[in-house]
Amino acid sequence: MKEKWNFILYLVWFSYLTLSAVLMFGQGFLLSRKTLNDVSECVPLENFGCDGRLNSSEKFSCTESSKIQRILAYSSSPIVCAAKSHRVLFVLVDALRYDFTEYNKDNENPLYYQNRLPIIQKTIERYPERARIFRFMADPPTTTLQRIKALVTGSLPTFVDISSNFAAIEIQEDNVIDQNVKGGGEAILLGDDTWMRLIPGRWLRSHALYSFHTWDLDTVDNEVDSKIYEELKRNDWDLLVAHYLGVDHAGHRYGPNHPEMARKLSETNVRLKKIIESLPSDVILYVVGDHGMTETDSQEWKNSEGDHGGESKAERTAALFAYHSSGFSGDEAERISGKEVQQTDLAPTLSAALGRPPPAPSLGNLLFPILPNMPVAHTLLHLSNNLKQVTQYLVRYGEESQQISLDRLAQLINATRDHIEKGATVETEDELKLYISNVRALMENIRSIFREVWVEFDSLSMLRALLLLLLTVFFNWIITEGIPAERIPHVFASSFVPSGLISMAVCVGICYTGHYLEIVDDVGHAIILSTGLISGAITCVLVIMHWDGITQRWYEGRSQFYERFARAALFASAAILVSNSYIIEEGATLSFLSLTVLGLMAWNIGNIKSLVLWAGFGAVMALTRSYRGCREEQGDCWTAGEGVATGNASRAALVIALGSVAAVVAISRRHVEWRGYGIVIAGIFSCAHWAVGWGSLGSPSRSKMLARGAWLVIVTMFVLLWRRDGKGATLPLVVSGLLFYLANTLVLGASLAPTAGLALFSGFLALNIVSMLKTEGSIKFSLTTRCNSSMACLWALLASYNFYGTGHHATLSNVRWAAVFHAGDPHYTSFGNIISVALMFIYLFGMPLLFGATVPLLALWGRNGASTLGPRTQLAAVFSLCLKFALCFAIRVFACALSATIHCRHLMIWGVFTPKLMFEVGSCTAALLGTLIGATLTAWHIPNQTRSS
Amino acid sequence: MFSLNNHLELRRVTISSLVTCIYLPSIVTVISYKGLLYSVGNASSLYVLVLIFIAELIKSFYLNSNNDLQVKKKASKSRVGDIVKSIVFLLGVKFCFFIGIILFGAPVLEYNEETLILSSLLTLLTLFPLIAHTGVELAVQLLFGVKTFPRDTIIAMLVNNALLTVCGAWLGAVVIPLDWNTPWQQWPIPCYLGAIGGYLLSNVLTVTKVTLMSAANKHPFLGIFVNMMNKLHISK
Repeated sequence: MKEKWNFILYLVWFSYLTLSAVLMFGQGFLLSRKTLNDVSECVPLENFGCDGRLNSSEKFSCTESSKIQRILAYSSSPIVCAAKSHRVLFVLVDALRYDFTEYNKDNENPLYYQNRLPIIQKTIERYPERARIFRFMADPPTTTLQRIKALVTGSLPTFVDISSNFAAIEIQEDNVIDQNVKGGGEAILLGDDTWMRLIPGRWLRSHALYSFHTWDLDTVDNEVDSKIYEELKRNDWDLLVAHYLGVDHAGHRYGPNHPEMARKLSETNVRLKKIIESLPSDVILYVVGDHGMTETDSQEWKNSEGDHGGESKAERTAALFAYHSSGFSGDEAERISGKEVQQTDLAPTLSAALGRPPPAPSLGNLLFPILPNMPVAHTLLHLSNNLKQVTQYLVRYGEESQQISLDRLAQLINATRDHIEKGATVETEDELKLYISNVRALMENIRSIFREVWVEFDSLSMLRALLLLLLTVFFNWIITEGIPAERIPHVFASSFVPSGLISMAVCVGICYTGHYLEIVDDVGHAIILSTGLISGAITCVLVIMHWDGITQRWYEGRSQFYERFARAALFASAAILVSNSYIIEEGATLSFLSLTVLGLMAWNIGNIKSLVLWAGFGAVMALTRSYRGCREEQGDCWTAGEGVATGNASRAALVIALGSVAAVVAISRRHVEWRGYGIVIAGIFSCAHWAVGWGSLGSPSRSKMLARGAWLVIVTMFVLLWRRDGKGATLPLVVSGLLFYLANTLVLGASLAPTAGLALFSGFLALNIVSMLKTEGSIKFSLTTRCNSSMACLWALLASYNFYGTGHHATLSNVRWAAVFHAGDPHYTSFGNIISVALMFIYLFGMPLLFGATVPLLALWGRNGASTLGPRTQLAAVFSLCLKFALCFAIRVFACALSATIHCRHLMIWGVFTPKLMFEVGSCTAALLGTLIGATLTAWHIPNQTRSS
Repeated sequence: MFSLNNHLELRRVTISSLVTCIYLPSIVTVISYKGLLYSVGNASSLYVLVLIFIAELIKSFYLNSNNDLQVKKKASKSRVGDIVKSIVFLLGVKFCFFIGIILFGAPVLEYNEETLILSSLLTLLTLFPLIAHTGVELAVQLLFGVKTFPRDTIIAMLVNNALLTVCGAWLGAVVIPLDWNTPWQQWPIPCYLGAIGGYLLSNVLTVTKVTLMSAANKHPFLGIFVNMMNKLHISK
């Protein structure tokens, strides 16, 4: 039995190949931006002499304007601090879309989100000098964290930041808040604690609240309200940030067209009115939305036929409202309501209002229409500060990164320097206007070039990764489908696996040596590439050595129709990942396909029992349909409010959850011998956990204790699984499936727990149908039926479906983070991060894990299963099934990566394809891990001595 | 090459298939010209089903006309019993189709009318001709594979029709999730048209095959195509 552990090692090897290729793809595909930790410095105006030189010795006095004029004449002078500063009240109304702020008197029947903010329009009509309303265009990705980063740094956050969304790392770059603090100003924060995590320790006073309870519409807003009016009366601050979340949460929970949205917007209206009334005269008020929200109103859904551009526009178009009681600069043409301005422009503008230079990474323009009136010289000073800062950034970025070609950068730097010089010659208002528009055009140009680069994919590593993945999939497919079953034990008893592993180790060694000798730059890529290629070569050699067997098997083999169909269904399920509409409806598609595959199997068996089982399976699938979540793109379903589960189970849901767990535990415990006790105890703990924690009468702390008890029992049982009792592998595998089921119910919570039971039941039904499949001739033949690829395909389809069946969807906004906290906040323990990651992983990908761990049952289950055969055959059968199952997921990941590559300029790349890729990678990881667990369990429990068979 | 009986049967097969190839497209054409194609799932389109029912009935009379000569001695009252039995059986089959369609993903609580119409169509195109030709018992036996049937007979044609009809309806569902927002993506129009398309395709294949077979008598090289088509046919 030398091959026993070689099988496991080979599975590990395969997992490594798949995941490393995916990792490489991700590195090239998920965009990244070099962050520089430079900080803009400025020199106070007093330090300049009247000749415009720093620390000049000339002592005659002059006016401020003439001094500035002189300073501007020296294009190499440093950034000068603006002379006059204002205080700023920055109100961020999360997800304030532009059309929420419009007011139309003639609209007789306004929708719930229309005409709810009349204060804005009224203020503008009454004081056209003092108020402005603009369209505030966000750059994708439009998630709050990215938007806050963009607002305070004035840069373009990239998608890579999204992955750090919930580990919220501190901003490493220069930003408005830092600039304010540097200038001796004080800042105050009220509201969303994302700010606190992004920019900790800079606040004079802060009142930050947890922001991810999306079903809580009011707490954060009320808390902010309770503080903001007090703060407005004080004058020890220079910048006050107030972040209101209610509108965003109402949008997430109910969609824009809902009475709750009307309520939240009306509240905002009252709030704005009060703020404007009590606003001190030296404070500038900016009210902005960080992003919009999608339009999911059912009527408009039908009007805009097939047009998705509108949707993304709705997400990108936020509102910017500014008010200053002393009036803003800018003439009629510049203050037209609804003019489009970029979000990157806010950071330099805010800094200018605070009397500071723009933050170092900013690529924005100054928005003079929302800055107070100032003399020409000061305007020019701000402009030249902005240009100088951008020039510095260009130089520094060119030094740190090769993303933009040096020629291009040099061109841009020269252009900005030209403009700085030109600034000195401007004197009249008309010249100034022309100059401002020139500078704006230049900055737009720079911004668009950087945007292009930060949306530029690393196509080389993407293609390499795809190639590696293809290589892995192709040769392993030939190995599993080609090499005859009876040869597999011999292949793996030979030196094939050890030599492969040794050659990979050699590759790693060579890569590190090359890195040490500075021949290889990127050691990670080199390792992945070389190990992938050498593995491809080794498997290729294996295929060539066994070519005779492969050709013979393919020549003789005639597969049944259902087998061919199962394979076709798996490929179809992978191929349709290229189309966004199928990704959106993937739950329905997968259930359709798996039902058909199983139906053909039942048809092939052709007796009443199998048909009844199949109908039962179909009924289970239909039951899970009611738990399937919605995503924003599924118009009607989403607006019906089924999208985001509230997290609180209703009474009926609780009863169903308790019933499902009780039923599973009661039925299964008899059949798993002494292990049944553990299952029962864990089941009782989890039931008690829900029952005690339910409703307003429940006790959360006790419920959390019970959940911890359940986890303790589950983990103990999992450890006890490795106790050998010499009765074969079927029983431990079943128990591991049950344990994974219990773990799933715990993280899913009471409202979704029945889905885990339904998934388990559907798997059980499928297993029974599979074990009835007709076998021609002797039991040897039955083995080839039982471990052919159609089983693995069916199982993979089921595992993928149950991701949707348990109420998930492949979008980031559908992820509910409550799963981490059901047994108390793990961050209080010393290794909290690991626990929360593990819980999230089980919560999201528990089903692929469960189905992965139970793959060996496909071969072992039932009376005519492989469990009656000799250990060698058994193990070979299990191994080939596991590899096929893993291969199915690898194929799906490959299809996802391919579709992401094809669609990398598609409108929905960040909304549909990238999340799908990430979730599919997660599923694949879970499936690989699950198969490893299942295969190891089998290998561990199969008796060692070879019977004569 | 053919025995006499086989020859006769082949002629019947050909003619009935040809008739189908003519009448089904004409029904579809007429309703699409009338602008009623997208209301095909509603109960208001019951007349289509009635038309198909009549046509299939006439076809089955034609197919059975020879058998009647041989089985003339059958008493008329047992015929009535047969008819009642087959109606009950067909209703049962229709219900099974209904359940099956819902299991495959049709809405459970809404659109029941449409689903019912689709299941009636499927029953009409798959099992009704089979039962009209063979009677309930034999049809059940054929369905569960208890009895086998030789190639190139009427029964083989009917079974093939039934299988391809179901396949067509299955394939029709493929276009439903796409976001083209066209009126014909409404449930159950794609499946309905898919079923009709599958049935039509099966008949066209039969006609082509018979034509090729008779042509292969003169030009033997055409036999390759006949063999190819024989392989194409779905059977267990």
